[in-house]
Amino acid sequence: MAISLENVSYSYNVNDAYRVDALKNLSLHIEEGTFVALVGHNGSGKSTLAKLLNGLLLPTCGDVKIFGNSTLDVDKIYEIRKSVGMVFQNPDNQMIASIVEDDVAFGPENLGIERSEIERRVEWALSKVGMLEHRKSTPFKMSGGQKQRLAIAGVLAILPKILVLDESTAMLDPKGRSEVLKVAHELNKQEGITVVHITHFMEEALNADRLIVLDAGRIAFDDTPAEVFKHYDELKAIKLAVPWETQLAISLKKVGIDVGDVVVKDEELIDRLCQLL
Amino acid sequence: MPVTVNKLSFTYSAKTPYERKALNNINLQINEGDFLGIIGHTGSGKSTFIQHLNGLIKPQEGEIQIFDVKLTPDKRPKVNLRALRSQVGMVFQYPEYQLFADTVEKDVAFGPKNLGLSADEVSNRVRQAIEMVGLDYEAVKDRAPFELSGGQKRRVAIAGIIAMRPKMLILDEPTAGLDPFGKEQILNLIKYLKTHCSPTIVVISHDIDEITRFANRIVVFNDSRIVYDEPMQQLFKHSIQLQAMGLDIPRAVKIANALRDRGIDLGEDIVTAEDLMRAIAQRYNEKHSTQIDKEACVFDMYDFTHKWLTSEERAALEGKPVEPVEEEQPSGKLKHGKRKTQHVKKIKKSKRGKE
Repeated sequence: MAISLENVSYSYNVNDAYRVDALKNLSLHIEEGTFVALVGHNGSGKSTLAKLLNGLLLPTCGDVKIFGNSTLDVDKIYEIRKSVGMVFQNPDNQMIASIVEDDVAFGPENLGIERSEIERRVEWALSKVGMLEHRKSTPFKMSGGQKQRLAIAGVLAILPKILVLDESTAMLDPKGRSEVLKVAHELNKQEGITVVHITHFMEEALNADRLIVLDAGRIAFDDTPAEVFKHYDELKAIKLAVPWETQLAISLKKVGIDVGDVVVKDEELIDRLCQLL
Repeated sequence: MPVTVNKLSFTYSAKTPYERKALNNINLQINEGDFLGIIGHTGSGKSTFIQHLNGLIKPQEGEIQIFDVKLTPDKRPKVNLRALRSQVGMVFQYPEYQLFADTVEKDVAFGPKNLGLSADEVSNRVRQAIEMVGLDYEAVKDRAPFELSGGQKRRVAIAGIIAMRPKMLILDEPTAGLDPFGKEQILNLIKYLKTHCSPTIVVISHDIDEITRFANRIVVFNDSRIVYDEPMQQLFKHSIQLQAMGLDIPRAVKIANALRDRGIDLGEDIVTAEDLMRAIAQRYNEKHSTQIDKEACVFDMYDFTHKWLTSEERAALEGKPVEPVEEEQPSGKLKHGKRKTQHVKKIKKSKRGKE
């Protein structure tokens, strides 16, 4: 099991009046190689969960295990951080070097890895995110999508088994978003990396193996995207929406035009409309 | 006419190896009452352009007339930037990152204070601005802004701008990073502000399905020029060109286009989901001899006003009605508009961590 959480709770400001219970007795198991999309309204506990996965936060109660190692185990924490790579929201906050390949080399350099191996890894990581041609340029003039792919390359260079994208697409334009999402899916398919993709864009969850919906620190839904989107009314009650195409199918059905139960893709919708019209 | 832009050009790092033209001969008029959407991919010049509109960047070539202020490349006469910025309110991307004071009240008061208003007028405006964005003044005024939730912080930041009573409001990606419900709240707030605070609104957004829900006119930037400036309904006749520029077109347009390619023509003027639904219903009626009422075609993706919302949340969404109260006019040249009513939202005490 790549990730397993047993009865995990996390509270901010535990001992004062501003205590917030961000996660409440949450249990979750994610198998290696899965592409998981994690959604939930602002403040539902998504980012707290992400930070628990590599020991940036330690659970108030319960246990977080990454490939069997507990984040509470001081001797294992560096191993855990090597296997769980995280990419955050703001593309401008994650660059440390002025040249692309130096930036990617930063991680492995700090692990004391041999120079030839670092070079090999940098080349591999940059080619994986489609940035190899930019290896000698500077990150600061790049688009948001390029910066986020570079941030992913920096994480890849330490050869993680799990990639956590904590709203990494939130600040990007539509083109940048699809670039990053494509890279994440390729890494999942080709390299077998387990991906946890946290997002507010419901349509980004469509191609995930599994969609987990958090609400107020608890798991509200955990199923395939198509199954979860059947609960569109309940999703709305927890301040979320379904993808646009799904909503169109639902709204058409309400007036008596049946384009199928839960349509999740453009093509399905168009095929169905062609039959009806 | 609030804004007239004439032959505006701008180059970053001019006369260096990094020279880059950001604006190239921009001509644009923004009319009173416009709800203008600006789209264009990253680096197309739209941010550079809006920074001109409240004097953050001085024109290099061309000139801009904004209300009674004229911006030109000349050093003289000196431009009254304070007067300009009190009339043009700018809400940047992620405005909550710019909150700085230790209480909400002080943060919102910063702008009006710097306009040189009396203490009474400042506190009056602060209260109104906070209530206008749907927060409970008494409950939040002494709180640190950093204790509030993401959506609340963003509303405090917007309150800081509207406390200056701008005649025109410019918002850069106002819904970025919010969940669907938070987005809907901010969009409703913008609509509310249009009727009750700033009659002219300019919004930059990457989400074309969001823009088409409120804009009456869309300007498209590409490669430092304005390539289209059209009423919202007309713009997507150019969908092929827009997509070639790497821009999204509304999903309803995409579906209508795909159906047209397969021989089903639903008509030209489909932009929103509801347009699409009505066109589908009409065609369905003709083919199946059914009587589906076009008015019943409602796309309720954004309808969060369900029974499960608390009264407080519903009030925040709907923008509660308004008790007319006579209001003191601000003194001097900053006076504007014929504001007769005060718009007060009464919302039940909002405890922290509403989201």
